[in-house]
Amino acid sequence: MSSAYNYVTYIRSTPAKIWSAITTPEFMRQYWFGQQFETDWKPGSPLKLLYKDGSSAVSGKVVEFDREKRLVMTWLDERKDEVPTRCVIELEQVEGGAVKLTILHTSDADNSQTIVAVSGGWPRVLSNLKSLLETGKLAFSEGNDTPPKCD
Amino acid sequence: MASNYAYVTYIRSTPAEVWSALTTPEFMRQYWFGVHFETDWKPGSPWKMLYPDGRVTDHGKILESVPHKRLVLSWHNDWKPEFAAEGEARCVIELEPDKGAVKLSIHHSMARDGSGLIGAVSEGWPRILSNLKSLLESGSVALTPEAAGKTTR
Repeated sequence: MSSAYNYVTYIRSTPAKIWSAITTPEFMRQYWFGQQFETDWKPGSPLKLLYKDGSSAVSGKVVEFDREKRLVMTWLDERKDEVPTRCVIELEQVEGGAVKLTILHTSDADNSQTIVAVSGGWPRVLSNLKSLLETGKLAFSEGNDTPPKCD
Repeated sequence: MASNYAYVTYIRSTPAEVWSALTTPEFMRQYWFGVHFETDWKPGSPWKMLYPDGRVTDHGKILESVPHKRLVLSWHNDWKPEFAAEGEARCVIELEPDKGAVKLSIHHSMARDGSGLIGAVSEGWPRILSNLKSLLESGSVALTPEAAGKTTR
């Protein structure tokens, strides 16, 4: 058995803009509740998701980096005593000027609490990202500097 | 066992506006790829969803209707015989204010395992709700009917 979380959203944007929004720390902080990735994005390189104060929320590795198409990371939640999870982000251009963004976040562990936490987090992060790219403003009007409690 | 699909999105809007978008046929057509509901939204009343040409796509009953908060529908498919044969599904839509946005949660379920209908709606809801969010926040949808028709049905 295992645990999995799947989320899909359609964003009126381009794969290039979404890719940049996910991989550019300064932009990311706006919609990811003050958090940012620290990595050089090369396959095999370490990766961290940092809180605003510089402490690490998640550590892992870049597994695949296929620009504007597919990003695969391992993802270890530092607050949980669990095996690393795996996060796959895929972008696909659809007809009519939108992009399908798919997240598949999985763990080999049954009832993974990391997967429970990310299933609360991804809809918030991606709702904010979609709003920011489509309208220049976030979905939430409060609490954008601190990660919400999702678990 | 059962079949379940859950989806959550946060919309920069108010519960009243999202509720109105969900229950007003003329508005609904814009983001729901041309279909619309026909019902009075009262608990116990029947509902049906119609294609622009008047054919029924799905139907059921309004089980609960709490304006701006919660809508529960029984859901029977009409457009695909295999799905229609699966019997009744249940769809719960909830709205909740959250940090200046509205949390919209969908839970669509059926008692039987491996439901094809629940598989199909799990493709459909992200399209519909991405469109609704874009429309309420920016005044235009994310996906055109053509783009959606290609992949949903």
